[in-house]
Amino acid sequence: MGEITFQTEAYAKMILHAAKYPHCAVNGILFADATKIKEGAKNQELDIVDSYPLFHHSHYVSPMAEVALTLIETMAQAENCIVAGYYAACENFRDNTVDKCPGQKIAEKIAEYFPSAVFIVVDNKRIIRHLDSPAIKLHKYSEGKWKLKEFNTNQLFPDRFFLHSTSQLLQGHKETELVDFDNYLDDVSKDWNNIKIRTYILDDIKSEIELIKKNKEI
Amino acid sequence: MTLFDKIVSRELTQNEAIDLLRQWRENNERKSNEIAMIHMFYDIYSGKISANERLMLKEQLIFASLDVHDLLTEFQIDFLLQEFPASMRVMRYKAMVREAKEKYDEALEILDYIIKADETNAPARKRRIAIFKAQGQITEAIKELVDYLKKFMSDVEGWQQLCELYLSVGELQRAVFCAEEMLLHQPHCHFHHQRVADIRYTMGGVENMELAKSYYCQALKLNPENMRATLGLFLTTTNLLNHYKSSGNSAKRKEAWKLSQWTQTKAAKRTATKKIKLTKMLLNLAITE
Repeated sequence: MGEITFQTEAYAKMILHAAKYPHCAVNGILFADATKIKEGAKNQELDIVDSYPLFHHSHYVSPMAEVALTLIETMAQAENCIVAGYYAACENFRDNTVDKCPGQKIAEKIAEYFPSAVFIVVDNKRIIRHLDSPAIKLHKYSEGKWKLKEFNTNQLFPDRFFLHSTSQLLQGHKETELVDFDNYLDDVSKDWNNIKIRTYILDDIKSEIELIKKNKEI
Repeated sequence: MTLFDKIVSRELTQNEAIDLLRQWRENNERKSNEIAMIHMFYDIYSGKISANERLMLKEQLIFASLDVHDLLTEFQIDFLLQEFPASMRVMRYKAMVREAKEKYDEALEILDYIIKADETNAPARKRRIAIFKAQGQITEAIKELVDYLKKFMSDVEGWQQLCELYLSVGELQRAVFCAEEMLLHQPHCHFHHQRVADIRYTMGGVENMELAKSYYCQALKLNPENMRATLGLFLTTTNLLNHYKSSGNSAKRKEAWKLSQWTQTKAAKRTATKKIKLTKMLLNLAITE
């Protein structure tokens, strides 16, 4: 079984997207590092480095999804990444299964081009200000279905500060600054790359490391 | 500095806070978190507000609190109930608390009582539909909503909700009917034109593409800044262009080609300075199609 790892940036944007629109279903695309992909391997090792939040309304009409996905393909090539997965959160609080999620067709299309793709369902119930678990469910594509896969949190997230950083973002209400494709279409001057979120995470990790150093000196 | 930081650090004046709340109320914006925060950090009731607005503020706070699952707001409702013992409106808040607690049967009981006492109480009927939706019973919700719209035909929000519900179960033909109904009520709203076009495009086929083209054009006429309509029109015309190329209809082909060129330049202009190159994407699409 190929190993999957998640970088904090990809993870945080996913959670922030769900937190920004608690009353809507949301979805987005996951990018993996293309340099770590082995050509033709059946069970790929995936390093998911980035995520692109897509929509929070109009999930069931196709034109804007087509635009977004074409755009994403171009961007993935430019960043030397590959479209490796799909994430979604359900509209109803307690729903956390694949078949309640919007855009399953998009996910299946991704799996068609990239068979090792993952489908992440954000578990609404477990999102809190102080995250104590990753609050996601991981699915892999096999035999035409999305199968739930258990994961080891420490293995999936190499960055040990990932929960802390994401919680910090939630506590600072940084979700209001996240831009999804719907926001981008409303105002094209907004930054869909969400560079800001990355800087916030880096700042948080820096300050955490400094804190640890200080404690050691004492 | 984000709005949140401003609220929390008490940088707004009392009047600014009241104005913000008023603005959100009038535009029907769902800013529950912000509303609850403003109430926490500002003493808005001591400001210059009329008795009427005071009640509006309270109602706004109750809805916002329930939305962020702050059930303490039940006290507020009890005070209001003392003030207006026979008010159906306050009773509806009570039902909403039950709803937030997921005691749907109790909520339905209260709502049924309200509807029995006052048949024209539209908000209570709408809450009933919301309860079905919250439980994931989409077919029931649709049934209820159809019944509701038979009685309250001019409720545009109702049509919009029905349109979305139909889309979620893949009934595009019916969804387009609802979208057209909204269009009839508000013919000058570009969103409605765009929505019809979006659904028509999703349905596919030459006839629907032609319709989508017309609706996108109308949406752009009403609001030239509508990015979704611009991109949608581009997709539609590219699609039509391919069709007419093979069927050899040169007059229509020319028209579609012209429109396609026009949308490309339009989209390029709007995103010229941006890092994300939409133009490149458009070009890619045009080549692959």
